[in-house]
Amino acid sequence: MRFLVCLKQVPDKDSRYSLDDSSCWIKEQDLTFETNEADLYALEQALRLKERHGGEVVVLSLGDDRVLKCIKHGLAMGADCAIHLRVPGSGWRDAFATARVMAQAIRRRSVDLVFAGVQSEDLAHAQTGTILAHFLGWPHATIVLEVQVDPDFVTIVVKRELEGNLFERCQLSLPSVLTIQSGPNQPRYPTLKGIMQAKRKEIVTLTPEDLGLRDQDLRATGSRLVPGRLFFPAKKKRTVMLEGSDEEMAGALIEKLRKEAKVL
Amino acid sequence: MEHLTNRIWVLLEHRDGRLKPVSREAVTCAQALAGPLKMSVSLVLLGDHTIEGLTHQVDREYGLEVLAIRTESGAVCTPEIQCEVLRQSIAQEAPYLVLMGHSYQVIDFAPRLAAQLDRAFLSNCLGHEIRDGKLHFIRPVFGGKLHQEMTFLGEPPFIVSIQPGAYSNQILRTEDSPGVVWKDIPPLKQNPGRRVLEIVEEASKKVDLTQASVVVAGGRGLASREKFQLILDLAEVLGASVGASRPPVDGGWLPKEHQIGSSGQTVAPRLYIACGISGAIQHLVGITSSQCIVAINKDPNAPIFNVADYGIVGDVFKVVPLLIELARELRR
Repeated sequence: MRFLVCLKQVPDKDSRYSLDDSSCWIKEQDLTFETNEADLYALEQALRLKERHGGEVVVLSLGDDRVLKCIKHGLAMGADCAIHLRVPGSGWRDAFATARVMAQAIRRRSVDLVFAGVQSEDLAHAQTGTILAHFLGWPHATIVLEVQVDPDFVTIVVKRELEGNLFERCQLSLPSVLTIQSGPNQPRYPTLKGIMQAKRKEIVTLTPEDLGLRDQDLRATGSRLVPGRLFFPAKKKRTVMLEGSDEEMAGALIEKLRKEAKVL
Repeated sequence: MEHLTNRIWVLLEHRDGRLKPVSREAVTCAQALAGPLKMSVSLVLLGDHTIEGLTHQVDREYGLEVLAIRTESGAVCTPEIQCEVLRQSIAQEAPYLVLMGHSYQVIDFAPRLAAQLDRAFLSNCLGHEIRDGKLHFIRPVFGGKLHQEMTFLGEPPFIVSIQPGAYSNQILRTEDSPGVVWKDIPPLKQNPGRRVLEIVEEASKKVDLTQASVVVAGGRGLASREKFQLILDLAEVLGASVGASRPPVDGGWLPKEHQIGSSGQTVAPRLYIACGISGAIQHLVGITSSQCIVAINKDPNAPIFNVADYGIVGDVFKVVPLLIELARELRR
């Protein structure tokens, strides 16, 4: 079986953001980037299925050369080869446009199962994988925790998370697209051997032109949304921030919880 | 979709004959938009014949126009069926805007529905603004540290989901009920690419956090199962219940029945102490009814500080042991 995993590069979770001159995007140059966590869970699922059933795991990332870090990390975790959808620049991207370009690249290969994270940590649209399934004309399931391939290799059974402690088990025909939620299958760390082997693995670079698309297809004509201004949210509550040394803050907190809030 | 109407649809999500709370919030959002945009609100229910009771109840309760779309295409709607039924209905009835709550079910079908209509789906919005007759929505990005204003490119219908808790649930009731419009869609001929096998309830209710008066909760910042012991120690000395955000549960540091948030329990204690929890919205929705929220986190920009009453920017491994010590002294 051939598994393909979509990896998105996002700013580090602990990033402190500042806005660029347009106020419509962040200053990216000050930030550290890493692979979106849910996508790493997606890759872990794919690697486990490969270990069980054999086959190949391909990782795919869209962006400029910065995303090569993400691709190399995926290869070091154990993916066999990679596709870099090289598009110029960075900044905000529409899920619809992104999914269309990815579909064009995936359609040409024989892939049985596509994995993506349920949502990205930066824009959190929770859409790209599902729209990708639409463009491919394949069934999809979102918020998936577990995947089992049926013995016939024609269908799979997945466990999905619903709200309020409910879970759904459903069967999908292959090929299909799954978006993976974080869960008990913790993503593995690359081993030293993995990192060394990754250097010899193939990375295919494709541009939108290679796929018969124009730069425009990723911008205005391909998008269905227009990003506006970014801003820091107003606080909902007046938070009392405690200051001083650790001892002073801890002491002040206990004092305030007893005397001011009267909850202790 | 040549004959676009001046209607705002609100898709009401239901399970076991009951509406989801976020669906009510979507109705208040629609009512807030309807005036300035000079539009009317229609409440839309989708399901098989069993939706009749709920439909009449919604009609009586709100006095708003109700559109009930019935189809016998299977008791459990898969996204394939939901997309096809809604795509047909939207194409025929041509609403300007389709609003819904940002639920797990919506994540499962709405992006595909929008793509089938060649339209955008603006997900997880928490506010709106109307300027020069144009509709803008605001959504959280970068883990809630920033908000972004968004507009649509191209023609309606526009599809929008709103974040749970972002709008109030105080629906403006109207007295003159326009009644229910029934729409029947014949069972779909389908080649189901996806079939539901079963729906199960899993996590045991052994740990009931909903009634706890003090909750001490830990998050990703606790780093490991061993270090999470610190949370248990603080909880013990305060006589509190132990909670967690998602990462400790995913990491197997403690069982799922301690998880608080959209995929866990909702708490409303007198005191909630969040240690090393950044405050993803999936967690925040489970704690907003707490009387007093304390946040201890090393990142001063963590969204948890936006909802906290008291905040400490610091290292949980240094601050929490001090709190344990002080609480012990108090007990003596």
